[in-house]
Formats: sequence, C-alpha cells, structure tokens
Amino acid sequence: MNRMDRILNGLPGDVMFLLGNEAIARGAIEAGVGFATTYPGTPSSEVGDTLSKVARKGGFYFEFSVNEKVATEMAYAAAISGVRSFVFMKHVGMNVAADAIMSMSYAGVRGGMVIMTADDPSMFSSQNEQDNRHYAELAHLPMLEPSNPQEAKDFVIRAFEISEKFRMPVILRTTTRVSHQRTQVKLGSRSVRVVDAKFDPAKGDFVTLPSSSMGFKSELIEKMELARQYCEKTDLNRTETHGSGKYGFITSGEAYNCLTDAIRKHSIDASVYKIGMTSPLPEEEIASFLSLHESVFVVEELDPYLESGVRRIAQMHSSTARIYGKIDGIFPASFEYSPEVVASSLSGIINIEVGNESPPVSVADLPKRPPVLCPGCPHRATYYAVRRAARMSGLSDVIYSSDIGCYSLGTYEPFEMADVLLEMGSSIGVGSGLSKVTGRHVIAFIGDSTFYHAGIPPLINAVRNGSRMTVVIMDNDITAMTGQQTNPGVPYDGMGQPVKPVSMEAIVRAVGIDNVVVADPYDLKSFLPTVMKALKSEGVSVVIARRECAILRDREMQRKGERVVYAVDSGKCGLCMNCVENFSCPAISIQEGKIAISPDLCDGCGVCAEPIVCPFRAIAAGE
Amino acid sequence: MSRLNTNIIIAGVGGQGVVTAGTIISDAASNAGLKVVMSEIHGLAQRGGSVTVDVRIGNVESPMVPKGEADLILGFEEIETVRSLERGNRDTFVIMNLERLPPVSLGIRRREYPDEQEMERKTAGIANVHRIDANRIGREAGNSKASGTAIIGAALSLGRLPFALSDVETALRNQFSGKVLEVNLLALSKGFESIPGKEPTPANR
Repeated sequence: MNRMDRILNGLPGDVMFLLGNEAIARGAIEAGVGFATTYPGTPSSEVGDTLSKVARKGGFYFEFSVNEKVATEMAYAAAISGVRSFVFMKHVGMNVAADAIMSMSYAGVRGGMVIMTADDPSMFSSQNEQDNRHYAELAHLPMLEPSNPQEAKDFVIRAFEISEKFRMPVILRTTTRVSHQRTQVKLGSRSVRVVDAKFDPAKGDFVTLPSSSMGFKSELIEKMELARQYCEKTDLNRTETHGSGKYGFITSGEAYNCLTDAIRKHSIDASVYKIGMTSPLPEEEIASFLSLHESVFVVEELDPYLESGVRRIAQMHSSTARIYGKIDGIFPASFEYSPEVVASSLSGIINIEVGNESPPVSVADLPKRPPVLCPGCPHRATYYAVRRAARMSGLSDVIYSSDIGCYSLGTYEPFEMADVLLEMGSSIGVGSGLSKVTGRHVIAFIGDSTFYHAGIPPLINAVRNGSRMTVVIMDNDITAMTGQQTNPGVPYDGMGQPVKPVSMEAIVRAVGIDNVVVADPYDLKSFLPTVMKALKSEGVSVVIARRECAILRDREMQRKGERVVYAVDSGKCGLCMNCVENFSCPAISIQEGKIAISPDLCDGCGVCAEPIVCPFRAIAAGE
Repeated sequence: MSRLNTNIIIAGVGGQGVVTAGTIISDAASNAGLKVVMSEIHGLAQRGGSVTVDVRIGNVESPMVPKGEADLILGFEEIETVRSLERGNRDTFVIMNLERLPPVSLGIRRREYPDEQEMERKTAGIANVHRIDANRIGREAGNSKASGTAIIGAALSLGRLPFALSDVETALRNQFSGKVLEVNLLALSKGFESIPGKEPTPANR
C-alpha cells in the first residue's frame, strides 16, 4: 500500500508517521466526510493535497473551489442536506469566507460541518498573523484547538459530533506548528456512513432575512449555552500535574507543547489546564481552577483570547487568583512561542534559571538566502521585461501593485516591483484606486489562480470607473505557491478528472477590455514590445503572460527524458554582470571572477541566452 | 533533558531533499520504537531559499529544537550549515556537506561565495565539525541526489543517532523502491564509512 492508500485504508490501530494536515485529512475520512472543499493556502494546503488524491477511491466529493467563500458555501449546501462536510483554509482565507460563516451560524446545519482555519503565527507564509479564534466568538460557534497531529485527527471527528449535536458548524483551529508537525499517529476506525443528500427544509429554515434571523439569533445564544455545558464536561479539556502543581497554567494549541517542554526542562511545579474546546469557554471549570491556585499563567500564542476570557470569569466569580498573561506584558503579544520564550517569560515571576549563553558562532555577516523565484520561473522573465518596457516607454513614475503568489517575490531585489501588496486581488483593486487618486500609470501583477479568486470584481470596477492601468496576469497554469493545485484555468479538477478550463481572456474581454494580449515571457524579444504597446493604452489594458510553472515544465521534461542545460562561453562573456545583477537566476553565479551556470540548477529555459539579458551572446545551450 | 532526547537540525537549500532526509530519520526512529516530532516550513517559493527541518526524538512536545540545544546538525550546504550553528552549542556534532550554492544576493552585489578559509573560521568555535563530500558519495552510489542518505550514514557512524543502520534501511525501503532504493542503500553504507577514524561500533552496526 502506498502512503495515500494507507491514509485512506489504514486499519484501526495502525501507526503512521503523519504531517498534521495529513492527520486532519485522515480524521475527515474516519468521520465519514461526504463533501470536502477548500481554496489552497499555507499552512492548510496539504489537507487538500491529500483529500484530492483519495477522494474518488474514498467515495466522497472533493473540490478546489474558486475561493474560500465559495468553498464554504459549497460545504454549507452539503451540510444542510444532511451530508458531513469539511471546508478548510488558511487564516486570511477565513476573511474571504467570513460573510458566509457569519450568517450560516444563524441558520445552522443538519449534517455535521467543520470549518478549519490554519493560522500562521510568525507569518512564515502570510501577510499577517491574525488570530482567528476571534471568529468563533464573532460568529458564536464552537471551536476546537488541537496541539499535535494525533489530536488534530481525533478532534476532526469530535468536531463533527459536536456539530451534529448542536446543529451548528464547528471551527477547527490549527497553527503552522500543528499543521506542519510530523509525528506518529494512531489510526482509528472509519465510520461507514451512507447518507443520501436530502434537502427538504421547512419554510424559512435556511433563509436569513430579518423575520427569520431574529429567531435564529435567540436560538444561537441558547445553542451556545448548551455547548458551554457540554464543554464543562468534555474530555477535550484536561488537567495535567507536574510536581506539587503549585502554579496554575491555562493553555491551548501549540502553546501547550512549548509550555510542557519548559515545565519539564525547568522542573516547574505546575498544574496545567489544557483546553481543547476553546469556544465556548468552560466557565465553571476555569472558575474552579482559579480557586485552586494563587497564581495562574495563561499561555497562548497571538492575541489574549483565553486570557480575556479567564480575566472575565475571574471577575464574575470574585476570584482572588493572580492572573498573568500578555495583557499585563508578561508574555509576548506577537509571533510564535518556543519553550525558551515561555521559560524566559516565566523567569520574571517564577524562580527558574534560563540560560543566557551566546551562540557559539556569529552568523550576522553570512549572505542571506531568502526564497527566490525558481530557476526557469517564467515570472523572472516577466518582471525583467516589464521593468525594461516601463523604462523604454519613458514611464518614470509608474506604480507597481502586486498580489499574493510566488510572484510576490518580485518585491525583493533585484526586481523590487511591488509598491503595494495587501491581499488576494488587491493588485487590481488598490492599483486602480491609485491610478484614480494619483493620476499615475499603474502596473498590476496578479497570478492566474488569484485572478479567478478575487481579481474579477476589481477589474470590472476599474473598467467601469475609468482607471488607467495595465494588468499583467501571470498565468503559469497552476496554483503554484501552495504546491501545484488545480484552478479554474486548468483542464482537470480537484479529483483529477478532465474538465473544460475557464478562459481568462474571454472574461477580460467580457468586462469590456479590448486591449488584451496573450504573450509568452520566455520569448523576451516579442514579449517586451507587447508590454510596451499595452502601456500606451489609455484605459485598462491586460497582458496575459502565459507560460507554465517551471516545476510543471520540469516534470514534463523528465517524463519525456529531455534535458537541456545552458553554459557560458567565457571567451565571449564581457563580464557586464547584467545576468547576475538584474536577472538573478539561482543557477547563475560568479565563480573565480567568471560567470558560471550550475548544470545541477539550470532548468534549460534559455531566457538568460536572449540578447536582452546577455548582450554578448555568451550563453548557449550546452552539450 | 538533552541526555535523554536527541535534537537534530537539518539545514540546506530548498530542493536539496532536506524534508525527505527528515522523514527518513524520523521513520528510522519510529522503527526503533522511539517517539519523534518533526517540524517543517512550507510555502512561498519551492526552491532556492534556506530550509531547515527540526527532528526531536524522545519525550518532547514542541517540534522545534530550542536555541542552543541542537545535538546534531546535518548541513546539506556550507552557508546553511553555518547559519544553523547559531542554534547549536560548542559540543554539537556537525556534518557539513561540501556543497556550495551561491545565493543570488551575492551576484546582485557582484560578490562570490565565501572562500574555504572564511568558512573554516566560522566553524572554529565548534569542536566536532565533520566535512564530507556527500554529493560525490551519492554519485559513486549512483546518483548525487542520494547525498542526503549519505549524510545520514555519516551521522550514524558518529554514534549520534539513537537507532541502528538497519532502522534506516527499513526507512529507505518505506520511502523508495527499485533502482532508487538500491542507490540509497549503497549511499547509506558509503556515508557510514566516510568519516576517517570512525570505526562503526557493533551497537551501530
């Protein structure tokens, strides 16, 4: 059995070494999920990568939806038809889905519905580190927070049970270190659920108009009170004692792991109340925990979500316990925790020795290696050409508006072509606003998947309101950054079945843009004048820079057994350094005073051999 | 705590097989009946950036190796090896693959990769740095991509991994098949014999 088959068909009691997100996928399978949807986003993506590979064999439906809002609406439809549904996304994706979530909590569900948010403390691959636990409070929904892959799997199943018990969606909240942690996970049994979708609401059951929503709101408050009573007794919350248990700790998620390691290392006398169900909070349990300790530390990453609740409960129960957290500045309010961060925060209050040894090696002056566009990445050619086209067109005050994708890396040297970058689709929305308010020419960069996700309404708005901008859609035929998922422009769907792609040029024309052209950025000498022509346009012009992702191309070349590698003829090279300074492919470097191309890294795209990059024509395909 | 637990950092450049090496080590530890937690970071560009994977074996919960507590650093690339030494201590065992991948930030400044003397100066504060040419070992075994497996073999010969060669062989069998498996098994044993003066102990064998 290969790995994916084992995730689908592994027997109860089997132990697999699983990534948190794979464990979550297995949890959904064990729960008998019938309908799963997502828009990929790190750190949630591998849930979808796993489910997409096993959905057909597993007999359930899976799709990569056009965006998180639609994914959530799709999953909701299944849940109100009695089918267990699972929708998952990264934390900022939940902002997109929020409009739907805020109202579906009112109308509730029939079949279980689990909404997973994968938060990203320290912003490893995100534009912010928002704490999505607030959504549970905002929407009045139950929420579970696992600490490791085993819990992640088990909590998915519990989340479905809670959802069906209270007929409301349940939020499962992970963070990067839970979703991207690998450890041994013991598999459970798969529930066999044969559910025929049946949508037969009584009048108004799923209609949120003021007339019905007023009733829904009262029911929602009642349901959450029942959920609280459940939470007081659930084994999702537990207390662990270390030593005499003198100091009280309240914690959840990955912070529990850091705290436990710190307690073990420093032999702290601790009583740890680990909350697995963090919405609604177990008020009575927390009050009784407070009554048992003089000092209680609330240890959690990001916002003082638990701490605010604990302080509120303390006030209501006239607790005399001294509460420490981040509101009083004891623990950091930003970034992910580590055992050292927890220990050093505690060391101000509890008498423990924290090492303050300086590192054995100074690395400050090492050359940095931030992520870069891959060798052969078509975005490199696009950025290189657009920059030159803008200069050759005499546009000295052009504004570059960028978006979310691999091409966000165009922000960094040598291109530095992002003056503004906010969220999915913002390149066009903010870009067209800037063209209006400043009168300057705006060039917006957006990828294919991001365009389908959130680029179309702002494009309509730009045309409708007369912005002057050039939109470069960087169409690499895949959702690349998150790991090569399919999107509406790709001719197969989330379960690998052939499907007709949605034509982005037809969409662009349909919104009223005549000046649209498709060009291959690998072909620099025709791509550059194409961009220059688009820049002359008065209204909104669109250049679709179409060339498949280098990783896709590599796989295809490997399959065909083809391999081309470029090399530098030092005799011809004029050492102008343009290739390393301004094109900056990771395969090209200076070695002993000469330009060299690493045959291991060269992708064979040949763009560097174009005279616009190498005016000495010193680069050519080697043997 | 570090007496009972093993904290490993694997450092390299995206595309070098750092995550694969982490899963092989973790699987080997699992095969030896040990608890393992591993942490990895995904997203943004797939290749070319600094990548580290933390593997912790023993009674631990957090998947990240605490600062200063790395017992073993497996460096797939020279600059990245040195970068991760910051999280080690003077007694950390280090295997440094002699692979030099120049970051693009160097070329943009018309600079070259730091020379060997400079790299040696940087590691001078650490007693146990073993330099090996794992790409060559991989090539001799049949494919330079098996360098990661060669590095694991070398680490095993130092007695710094709490499991046996046979546990890694099982892990390789779980991960690969056919010709790729053969190459990796050979790379493992060649890596095991690559550090001079380190005779395999019976326990490791």
